[in-house]
Amino acid sequence: MKTIETVPYHYLLKQLPKATALVDTNYSLIEASNSWLNIFDLEHFEPKNTHNRSVFDFYDSHKEFSSKTLKECLSKKHKQVIRHKKNEKENERWFESTFAPWFDEKENILGTIVQIEDITKEIEKELELERIKTLLQAKSEVAKVGSWEYDISTENLTWCKVTKEIHQVSPNFKPKINQGIEFYKQGYSRNKISMLFHKALEDGTPYNERLIIITNKGEEKWVTAGGKAIKKNGKIVKLFGTFQDINDQVLAEIKTKESEQLLTTLIDNLPINVFIKDKESRKILVNKTECEYLGANSKDLIGKTDFDLYDDRVAQISRDEDLEVMRTLKPMIGRETINVRKDGSATNFLTSKIPLLDIKGKAYGLIGMSMDITHIKQKEDQLQDLINVTAIQNKKLINFAHIVSHNLRSHTANFSMLLEFLIKEKEEKEKKRIMKMLSHASDNLLDTLENLNEVVDISTNVNLDKKSLNLNENILKVQQNLAGFLVKNKVEFINSVPNNLSVMSVPAYLESIVLNLVTNAVKYCKPKENPTITLSAQKQEKSVVFSISDNGMGIDLNRYGGKIFGMYKTFHNNKDARGLGLYIIKNQVEAMGGNITVSSEVDKGTTFNVYFNEED
Amino acid sequence: MFILMKKINSIFIIDDDPITIFGIKKMLKTTVICKDIKAFENGKTALEGLTKRIEKGASVPEVIFLDINMPIMDGWEFLEEFVGMDIKEKIIINVITSSIDPLDYQRWNDFRLKSLHYLNFKNKPIYKIEATDLNRVNIAS
Repeated sequence: MKTIETVPYHYLLKQLPKATALVDTNYSLIEASNSWLNIFDLEHFEPKNTHNRSVFDFYDSHKEFSSKTLKECLSKKHKQVIRHKKNEKENERWFESTFAPWFDEKENILGTIVQIEDITKEIEKELELERIKTLLQAKSEVAKVGSWEYDISTENLTWCKVTKEIHQVSPNFKPKINQGIEFYKQGYSRNKISMLFHKALEDGTPYNERLIIITNKGEEKWVTAGGKAIKKNGKIVKLFGTFQDINDQVLAEIKTKESEQLLTTLIDNLPINVFIKDKESRKILVNKTECEYLGANSKDLIGKTDFDLYDDRVAQISRDEDLEVMRTLKPMIGRETINVRKDGSATNFLTSKIPLLDIKGKAYGLIGMSMDITHIKQKEDQLQDLINVTAIQNKKLINFAHIVSHNLRSHTANFSMLLEFLIKEKEEKEKKRIMKMLSHASDNLLDTLENLNEVVDISTNVNLDKKSLNLNENILKVQQNLAGFLVKNKVEFINSVPNNLSVMSVPAYLESIVLNLVTNAVKYCKPKENPTITLSAQKQEKSVVFSISDNGMGIDLNRYGGKIFGMYKTFHNNKDARGLGLYIIKNQVEAMGGNITVSSEVDKGTTFNVYFNEED
Repeated sequence: MFILMKKINSIFIIDDDPITIFGIKKMLKTTVICKDIKAFENGKTALEGLTKRIEKGASVPEVIFLDINMPIMDGWEFLEEFVGMDIKEKIIINVITSSIDPLDYQRWNDFRLKSLHYLNFKNKPIYKIEATDLNRVNIAS
């Protein structure tokens, strides 16, 4: 019976896919499946090699368990499990042996059924899990990222070590859910977290939010709180999430934002044009002043070059400056520049350009600053004009002073000389003669003073009362005043002055100008020819030009040109010539903001052109 | 009192002011013996008078009193012409002016340096004709 029984056992057991062995109470192997034997590097069950061999022999080659434990497992009356490891050439394999008592029909223990399972993969997974857990903890400690978990059924809230550290509570602190919420700063942060937490509880909406907590020690801290639901069979059972200290980061961000804000405010509100250009001179930043100047918003200006914004010639100058600054790396400071916009309007700037350097010290663009100095320039021009006017007037004054001193000196010299004679003279007849001379000299002095007075009057008459005067009416008036003189000299007039033409002039000056020019034309006529005077006038853009020509002797302008309007200059042998008329009318014309010119040819005639200033 | 007065052949006075001419003539009367004193009212008439003399072969004036400020042709313009004339004799030219402008003195000096004639500079008023106004050669005597 024994043999009958053993054969099927043996046969059956041998083929079992699961590694299985039978061990008797003496710990001797009775039967084993091929798969079991394979684990111990045996091909198949050979009774002479294996039968009745102690089961301990097999386990000898395996490690990570004690033979004592094995012995206990084999002798216990209920199921036992041990793990053991086998080292192969390169890798190691883990096994799990299950020991179950083997009974006969009378419940007597016959031995133990040993079943072995290859658990290498599970062990690897367990190790991996362990490794990941360790890594996660290390990471969370380094990154200050904590975690938390909330079990809905138990209402149990757990915080990890880092989470506790962030809250500045002791490591054995056991938080409750409402406590957790109360750590958040009252107001926005607390309201927000309550809402998010409840929403996550209700429908599993995950959240991740930057909020402020007040720690156990009363410090205010920025944190990122994240939460997510864990579902089991479609039902939310747990919430878990992260908890990160981002205080330093947020503070740094706030600081950066503040300095950025400061810089932007500063640049934007500087009353000068600020721009940054790239290597191709395209604008990559413009401030408010620059935008206002160009009449566009910054979006439209970014990427534009000077060629898009200014007159081509001006743009080329600017581009050349940019290239020079980026090539030499030397800033261009406070250069006076002129920008001409596309509409042709020009602005004077005081411009500085500073190269922008990358880490390698190469220029990748430039910062430009331009101050509008147009109004200063205008003031400068006005000042220059004023200086010019002053210089001219000063020159006139010096000239006048010389005239005065010379003319007065010559008279006083005469007085002095004559008086000297008078003192020494004994003859009565000669004395009378000298006295006569003295009275003559006195008359001359009075005349001179009168003339000088006339000139001073013009030069000091600052508040000129200019009026619009009909030119022809004034010519007619002069003709009437000079009627006798003109008839006597048989003067012929050719007058083409338009009847309605008016000039801006001081009435007395206009009369003086016309009178002097007409008189001169008659005085310097050719001895044997009747004088012809041609009058004409023309309106020009800002002035009226009045021309008076004669057919007289003419003046050699190459010789006298520089003196013709000088005081006490006469050029012809004429008894009536005082050398004062032209000097006076030149002063009068100039005092009214006008101008007088002369052209002449000897023996042909002379033309004077008077330009009346019609502007102011 | 007996004064040995210098004899001069011919003197020109060129001035537009009759009082000055009167004065110079009066002063000359007591200093010099000259039967040929001519007055001209400006440089142009003087130049014409001079040219006429040269054409006639008459002697040029030994001494000239020359005013600067005159109409038509002033003293400088006269000097410019005179210096360019072919006159062998060295003539004493007394430039007389009421001007105290340093520029006038400078101009006189320029003429003095480029001219072969003797040039004097005299400021008005004149009270007396000096020996040097009439004679350069006998300056030492």
